[in-house]
Amino acid sequence: MKFEDLPVDATRAGAVLLVLAVAFLFSPLFVRPPAATLVLFEVGVLFLLYALVLVGLNLQFGHTGLVNFGPVAFFAVGGYVAAIVTANDPYGAVGLGLPWPVGLAAGVVVAVVLGALIGASTLRLRDDFLAIVTLAVAEIVHGLIVTVRDVTGGSNGLQNVPRPIAATTGGGGAGELFATVLVFGALAVLFYGLFHRLSASPYGRVLRAIRADEQVTETLGKRVFRYKFVVFVYGAAVAGLAGALLVFYNGAAAPGFFTINVTVIVWIGMLIGGAGNDRGVLGGLAIIMGFQLATRFLNEQLPVITPDQFASVRLMLIGLLLMVIIKYRPEGIWGDADELGVES
Amino acid sequence: MTLLAVEGLRRSFGSLVAVDSVSFEVERGEVVGMIGPNGAGKTTTFNCVSGVLPSDAGTVTFEGADVTEAPPYDLARRGLVRTFQQTRELETLTVTDNMLLPTPDHPGERAWHAVGRTAASEQREQEARERAMDLLGTFDLRGMVEEYAASLSGGQRKLLELARALMLDPSLLLLDEPFAGVNPTLTAEIVEHIEALNADGLTLLIIEHELETLTDLVDRLIVLADGRVLATGTPEAIMENEEVIDAYLGG
Amino acid sequence: MALPLAQEIIFGLVIGSYIALGAIGFTLVYGLVNMINFAHGEFVTIGAYVGFLSIQIAGLPLPVALVVTFFGTAVIGWAIARVTFEPMNDAGAVPLLLMSIGLGLVLRNLIRLVAGAGGRDVQVGVATYRFEDLGFFVTSQQLFIVGVTLLVVLVLHLFLSRTMLGIAMRATAGNEDLALVSGIDTRRVRNVVWLAAAGLAGVAGILLAVAQEASATVGFGQLLLMITAAILGGAGSPYGAVAGSYLLGIGIAVSVAFLPAGVTAFGSTMAFVVLILVLLVRPGGLVNAEVRTT
Repeated sequence: MKFEDLPVDATRAGAVLLVLAVAFLFSPLFVRPPAATLVLFEVGVLFLLYALVLVGLNLQFGHTGLVNFGPVAFFAVGGYVAAIVTANDPYGAVGLGLPWPVGLAAGVVVAVVLGALIGASTLRLRDDFLAIVTLAVAEIVHGLIVTVRDVTGGSNGLQNVPRPIAATTGGGGAGELFATVLVFGALAVLFYGLFHRLSASPYGRVLRAIRADEQVTETLGKRVFRYKFVVFVYGAAVAGLAGALLVFYNGAAAPGFFTINVTVIVWIGMLIGGAGNDRGVLGGLAIIMGFQLATRFLNEQLPVITPDQFASVRLMLIGLLLMVIIKYRPEGIWGDADELGVES
Repeated sequence: MTLLAVEGLRRSFGSLVAVDSVSFEVERGEVVGMIGPNGAGKTTTFNCVSGVLPSDAGTVTFEGADVTEAPPYDLARRGLVRTFQQTRELETLTVTDNMLLPTPDHPGERAWHAVGRTAASEQREQEARERAMDLLGTFDLRGMVEEYAASLSGGQRKLLELARALMLDPSLLLLDEPFAGVNPTLTAEIVEHIEALNADGLTLLIIEHELETLTDLVDRLIVLADGRVLATGTPEAIMENEEVIDAYLGG
Repeated sequence: MALPLAQEIIFGLVIGSYIALGAIGFTLVYGLVNMINFAHGEFVTIGAYVGFLSIQIAGLPLPVALVVTFFGTAVIGWAIARVTFEPMNDAGAVPLLLMSIGLGLVLRNLIRLVAGAGGRDVQVGVATYRFEDLGFFVTSQQLFIVGVTLLVVLVLHLFLSRTMLGIAMRATAGNEDLALVSGIDTRRVRNVVWLAAAGLAGVAGILLAVAQEASATVGFGQLLLMITAAILGGAGSPYGAVAGSYLLGIGIAVSVAFLPAGVTAFGSTMAFVVLILVLLVRPGGLVNAEVRTT
């Protein structure tokens, strides 16, 4: 089973959607979805942000073979920097109170700088060691967020971050959610389109060659390290952007938004969908997030199990799913076994 | 005119000196063979010359420029291209993509051109594709263009690796045991390809551990033993060289 | 008043002992099975609960419980590895690593589900020996932990250097293909590695249970420390792992005591900084193992 090629180019569609979404924001119009569907919109917002992170991760791992186990580090840095730059008098934390576009740019820039530093210093390590380093970086970022309380607000987080979409749209909470999904959706489509153009071009061919055999690729005249570095930085940038969008949606930054669970969910989504298949990975993300949503409802129906036990069961199932996929369908649902060099 | 000059090359792995003050030259237009028993340092010499391994000492000069420190991608772009002893196809790429990958100066390999889908990129891709199809025709691989390289036979891999190297328009081709594990029919075919390429002006340096295969093909032989150059000369002279006979028969 | 250096070094030796017992197994698996096992922390956790059961429920004395835990965890860990990792031994480093992450999630949450989210105390008698003149004290528990670890390292050394199997293991770590053609049964070697790795992790687990408590995340909490110690010592080298562990343990204890509170608040975060610095400055660790791409 494969996704059929869509008749429209995603990059153009994303750009057009973004213009329409912004126009909608500034128009007096609003759409207030029915209350019963709001939970879908809430999960939808997270899905679109995780999709942005995944688009970068898929370029890194799916196409280039870089085992980045710390995408959440860039997501968190983008979010916290954006929050610190823009927050107005957050209680017990630093807030510069600058306009949100400055915060957005700062979040992306700092994520890029972090990506460049880590990339420059660690991309010469072997695959599995890159995994450890990126995981450690994510732990360090998380540790810093929790311990540098005077700046980040520690476990309480950082409040009073501007919410630009909420500020421009009408219709209350439901209207805001709808507008947010519209804007984030446009951005997700746009970045999916941009990254897909990269991966589907001669540029992407070099990336897949690097995944297959770095040394051969180098002896065929390609600057392998530079490609790995740039791809790592692109992933960091788009994850930083997603993190900034998250804090502008929530009006706050808190450690709970940026846990290792983000890494687990995007990785499993990528593996379910099929690493390297740009659309497939998003399908995989939808499946895993749909599973989480479905089990949340299930828990409400089964009061005999405590939420804590239920959380354990859910994580067990996610772990089991990961094991089954790796063992029985390493190319995922929509991935290409030949292209990934796996046998199922 | 000297195309490649290697002077005092040395490389050790821990206490093992794999290559010890190796010096030799390759003239433009020559076909030179490099022979020696297993462990003589042939592949290590290749690795150092092609930039895959850093050398401990010595210089490598290619087309008059000092390329001792040059990384592999730079050497490939300058026209010094190598193959590997165990063929290393990019198995998860198709035969066509294996061929298109080396295309020099491809604008589409830069992010802006890739995202913008520029005309320059499309045009270069088209040219490269035509050249690739020509070469695949020459090497009897036209029927395999859409296959993944993983599905090729051992002989087809040897041919693809040779064809792929030619996409870089090399002036010097280093072949690491192109006849290893190849049946006599294919050996003859590869010999023909090498002769045709040489007739077109390509210079070749070929590693082989059996002397017989090379005697008719090469202009000159370099004999390595224990990491040192034992002798150089025409195949006829080498076959009468006492030291070489000792190294091969007595060693 | 800050405790004197001698006291900190005792604490560091204890911390280093837990890490070492885990890191040896981690590094053996890395060197001989060619995988980074992110579920290794769960072997430690299993050991903690086997220890809890043998002491608190079965009422065994600590030395007996220690032996039971070693063998019990060894068999459990080996069986788990046989089912999960062995069938995909040829799949490569990244799939194995992903498999171990999945396995870790399953085991950790299974244990949490069965044993509950809270920790379980393990009661053993503790005597404290004070050296007032020198200004430090040491408990019988600390002596026991360090003593057991040193004994384990000694036995491991004798095994690796004096037995055919141990020598075969070292040969396999050097080059698996070469070991295979020289007649070493690499499958048998891998079996022994899993038994030893899980058993030693189990010992770390029971010691942690005795000194702290048995909980579902006790091993996972040690994982990055064990990995750091293994890399610090040179991935794949058991002796390096032991050295790396004690270096790390003493480093943690001393820095907690002597660095300003603002820095030590980062706690184990500092260990990860050390990990990254090691990989950047000397990626091969103390014994200079090869971890870069060519």
